[in-house]
Amino acid sequence: MALWIQISPGSNEPIYAQIVAQVGRAIATGQVSIGDKLPAVRTLAGELVVNPNTVARAYSILEQQRLVNTKTGSGTYVADPKLRHADAGRLNILTERIDNIITQALNIGLSEHDITRTFEDRLRKFGTKPDGGKRKK
Amino acid sequence: MNDIVIETRNLTKYFGKTLALDHLNLQVPRGCIYGLLGRNGAGKTTAIKLMLGLLRPTTGTATVLGCDCQNLTPQIRQRIGYVTEGHRLYRWMKIGELAKFQQAFFPGSWDDKLFNDMLDYFELSKKQKIKTLSNGERAQVSLAITLAPNPELLIMDDPTLGLDTAIRRQFLEGMTEHIERQGRTILFSSHILSDVERVAERIAVIDRGVLRADCKLEEFRAAVKKVRFNFAEAVPGQVDIPGLLHSRQNEKELELTLIGTTVEQIDTWAKSAGATYHKDIDMNLEDQFIEFTAPDTNRSLFQWEEIK
Repeated sequence: MALWIQISPGSNEPIYAQIVAQVGRAIATGQVSIGDKLPAVRTLAGELVVNPNTVARAYSILEQQRLVNTKTGSGTYVADPKLRHADAGRLNILTERIDNIITQALNIGLSEHDITRTFEDRLRKFGTKPDGGKRKK
Repeated sequence: MNDIVIETRNLTKYFGKTLALDHLNLQVPRGCIYGLLGRNGAGKTTAIKLMLGLLRPTTGTATVLGCDCQNLTPQIRQRIGYVTEGHRLYRWMKIGELAKFQQAFFPGSWDDKLFNDMLDYFELSKKQKIKTLSNGERAQVSLAITLAPNPELLIMDDPTLGLDTAIRRQFLEGMTEHIERQGRTILFSSHILSDVERVAERIAVIDRGVLRADCKLEEFRAAVKKVRFNFAEAVPGQVDIPGLLHSRQNEKELELTLIGTTVEQIDTWAKSAGATYHKDIDMNLEDQFIEFTAPDTNRSLFQWEEIK
């Protein structure tokens, strides 16, 4: 499993949020697969030299987002996407963010075609196929 | 365990006519790394020395590990590790002699293996004399002799001041390893906010002798924000928004630094003041600290926050 997390204190983003974002991205791009075990809280805290509570908080947010499961006494594992059904609230937030991005894109003069192409290019970076969004294995 | 390891009540200290610490009320819960922040001369070292009974308060009290600070018994002191500002050690001793000397104050709890492992890691030898060491090496010795007794409460006064990045990192590693042992608590003061951000769970901000914040680090991160408002016409003369720290403006723009103001309050105010557009300005911990302790500010961050 290749999970490389690089945090930068002094950035605008809190450290727990940096961990959440990077683990989330690793899952989205398939760098880690379903059932992979994440490093233990203490191990990751030791590697990153951060307070163990910060890592624990990041893991609990990932769990709320249903990206990982924690099995008591065993560890934290990447969850099965079929069980990660998106709830309406999160979908709304996402739609709002996409709207913001589209607004900005139109304001700097991109055409609808440009925007679609940019989205497709970025999606490909995450290893999705143009049709169903299934991840290449 | 959710008990309080350090508690001060109206702790006040005058040096002559100078007020160094003004009615300090803070609580350090067990099991956390607690960062004490403040500008130079804010009163951090005074607070620490009062907690350790090294200074006598003018008024007020403090208890550490359940014991009044002015009457700390040797038994209580054995449970506390203290790193002084500047890592002052007996210069004429060899490292080994210093360890033996220190060991005598911590009968039963001194971990000789931990001490030796740390010396090896730092590539130091017990035969070296303290006075021949560099600042960084002296800091490493200071860290090793403080952690070796595995103190229940570790108090460090600006431990990484003047140290290079690698040795600073060793201090942070030492702290995160120490906190993982059950029931350990660390209080440290620092000016290096990126270090504080890495390891501290709670912070206190002392500003000119007055406690201005005592909360979780992430609450502070979420509470202090800067918003820029744009106006089609002139900027309103009076800014009446909850949690205003200070404001800056030019003709059509108004930049407000706010504390604890909710998104709804910001939106409501923007609408009522007739702003055409507003957006959050990114702030890192350092920006937030500077804005929070700017000379014209005095709002605090704890009255609206519940201390467990």
